Amino acid sequence: MIEASKLHRQFGEVVAVDEVSFLARDGEITGLLGPNGAGKTTTLRMIYTLVQPDRGEVRVDGQVVADDPIAARRRLGVLPDARGLYPRLTAREHVRYFGQLHGLFGAELEKRVDELLELLDMHGIADRRTQGFSQGERVKVALARALVHKPANVLLDEPTNGLDVLATRATRELIRRLRANGHCVIFSSHVMQEVAALCDRIVIIAAGRVRAEGTVDELRALTGEQDLEEAFVRVISPPAEVQR
Amino acid sequence: MMRLIGVIFGKELRDHLRDRRSLMSALMFPLLGPATVVLTLGMLASWQSHDRPLEIAVVGRANAPSLVAFLERAGAQLTDAPADYEAQVRADTLEVVLVIPPDYPRDFRSGRPASVQLVEDGSNNRAQSSVARARRLLQGYARQIGALRLVARGVSPELASAVQVDDVDLATKQQQAAALLNMIPVFLLMAAFLGGMHVAIDSMAGERERGSLEPLMVNPVPPLAVVLGKWLATVVAAAVAVVLMIFGMQLAVAHVPLEELGLRVSFGGHEIGLLLAALLPLALFTAALQLLVATFARSFKEAQTYVTLVMFVPVLPGIFLSLSPLDPRPWMNWVPTLGQQLLMTAAIRGDAASVLGYLAAAAGTLVATAICVAVTARLLVQEKIVFGR
Repeated sequence: MIEASKLHRQFGEVVAVDEVSFLARDGEITGLLGPNGAGKTTTLRMIYTLVQPDRGEVRVDGQVVADDPIAARRRLGVLPDARGLYPRLTAREHVRYFGQLHGLFGAELEKRVDELLELLDMHGIADRRTQGFSQGERVKVALARALVHKPANVLLDEPTNGLDVLATRATRELIRRLRANGHCVIFSSHVMQEVAALCDRIVIIAAGRVRAEGTVDELRALTGEQDLEEAFVRVISPPAEVQR
Repeated sequence: MMRLIGVIFGKELRDHLRDRRSLMSALMFPLLGPATVVLTLGMLASWQSHDRPLEIAVVGRANAPSLVAFLERAGAQLTDAPADYEAQVRADTLEVVLVIPPDYPRDFRSGRPASVQLVEDGSNNRAQSSVARARRLLQGYARQIGALRLVARGVSPELASAVQVDDVDLATKQQQAAALLNMIPVFLLMAAFLGGMHVAIDSMAGERERGSLEPLMVNPVPPLAVVLGKWLATVVAAAVAVVLMIFGMQLAVAHVPLEELGLRVSFGGHEIGLLLAALLPLALFTAALQLLVATFARSFKEAQTYVTLVMFVPVLPGIFLSLSPLDPRPWMNWVPTLGQQLLMTAAIRGDAASVLGYLAAAAGTLVATAICVAVTARLLVQEKIVFGR
C-alpha cells in the first residue's frame, strides 16, 4: 500500500508537483495518467526516495519513507524512467546482480532468477549479453531485475513506452498477474486507453496537480462524458478545472 | 555492508574483464613504457658505440706520408682502400675513403692548396659521424700546416684566425641516459593513473550515460557501498598496471646495455619492493580521484576529458622533477604523487630508503583517498547526478 499525501516539489521556479495526494491499495492497479511533463515521473521518484519532496510525505505499507529510505526500497520494486542496462552483462546476470543487492544469494537467488526468466518468457535471451537487445527485451530485463526481491509494491514508469503490440500485451499480462498476487501496482502512462484497460483506479495529473481521481466509471460520471478520451481532455484542460 | 561492497565489486570486475578498452588501458600502457625505455636507451647505446676508432680507407697513401702520420697520431685506423671503393661506399660497406691524388706532393711542396677527396655516400646516415670526424681531422691538419708556414715566414698564425669557435657540449651520453632513467618514475606514475582510468570512467560516467545509475540507486544500497565497490574494481585495474609496469621496466633495464653507456643501475628485488611500496598506496588514490572526477561527467567523452586533464596536474610536477631535481623536503612526501615521485627517484638512484618517507606518503594518499570516496558517495545522492543525463 502506498499513500502519498500533499507532495510538493519545486525545481527552481517551476512547480513540478503540487499538493499531490492519492492512495494505492494492495491488489489494485493504480494508474497515474497525465500528459508529458505533468509531474508523474517526479511523483514516482519521490515515492521511491530518490527525489526529496519539499513538503508532504510518502508512506509505504504505513512507514514514512523519509524516515528510512533503505528500508522503504526493500518494499518497492521499481521500473524507473531510465532503464539502462549493462551491455556486457547477460540478462540473467542483470537479474542476479539486483537480487544480490537485495541480499539474495545462493540457491534461493538462482531459483528466483529462473522463476522470473520463466515468468517473462526470457529463456531465449537469458544468457545473451544485453548489447543489441530490442526495446521489448530491454524492458523485460529491467522488469525482471525490478521484481527479483518479490516486492509488495511495484512502481512502473511508463512500462509500455516504445514497445510493440506483442511486448505491450505481455507487459499488461504481467501487471495483471501482479495484481492477482496481491501486489500494489502503480503504473504511469500518458496513454489514456491503456490506463482505462488496465487500471482499477485512475489518478489524473496535469501541471503537477491531481485533476481527478476514481474508477473509469466514476470519471465518466464526473465529467458527464461517455467517451473516456473526451473526459480525459476535459479534465486536463486548464480552464475546466474539475475538482473531485 | 561488506557483502554489498563485494557484490558491486564483483559485478564491476566481471563487467570490465569483458571490456576490451578497460583491458587495454590496464595492460597496454605497461607494455609501452618499457618498450620506450628499451628503444631510447638502446638507441643512445648504439650512438655511443660510434665512438669506436675512426676507420678511413686511403687511396694513394704513399703520396702524403706526413698527413698519414698525423691521422694515425689522431687515432684514426687507416687501411688501404680496395680497388672498387666507390662501389663499396655506395653499398655502405665502406663509410669514408680518403683519396690522395698523385699531384698532391707537388702542390704541397710548392705551397699551393693541395687537394684531397673524401669519398662518401651522403645518403648513409650511419656514416655521417665518421665523415664529419674525418673532415675535422683533415681541417685540423690543414690549419696546423698553414700555421707552421706562417710562422716560417715570420707571421703570427693568430692573424689568420679572426674568430675562433669552441664547442662546449656539456651533455654526455651518460647524462642523457641518466635523464632517461629518471623518466622511469614518471612512467610508473602514469601507469597508476592510466591503469584504472577506463574502469573509473565507465563505472561512473558510463553508468550515468547509459541510464543505469537510477535503477542501481533504487536498490537498498548505501551510496558509500556503491562507491567502495566501484573504487575497489578501479584499484585492481590500477594495481595490475602498476605491477606490470614495474616488472616490465625491470626487464627493460636488464636488457639495455647500460654498461656501454657507463651507467650502473641496480634494479632488482629490493628496488621492486620499494617501488611497489610507493606505488600501491598511490593506486588507491588515483582510483578514488578518477571516480570522483568521472562522477561529475554526464557522458563518457566528457569524463575522458576531465580525467585526462586531472591526470596531468599531478604528473606535471613529476615530469618537472625528473628534468630539474629539486631538494626534497619532508612535507613533499605527504603530497600524493609528488611524494611517490620522490620515493621512486631515490629508490632508482639507489639512495637509502626512509621508512618515515614511505609512511608519510602512504598516509597522505590514504587521507586524500578517503576524502575523494566520501565526496563521491555524497554526490551519488544528489538528484542532478542520479537523474542528470
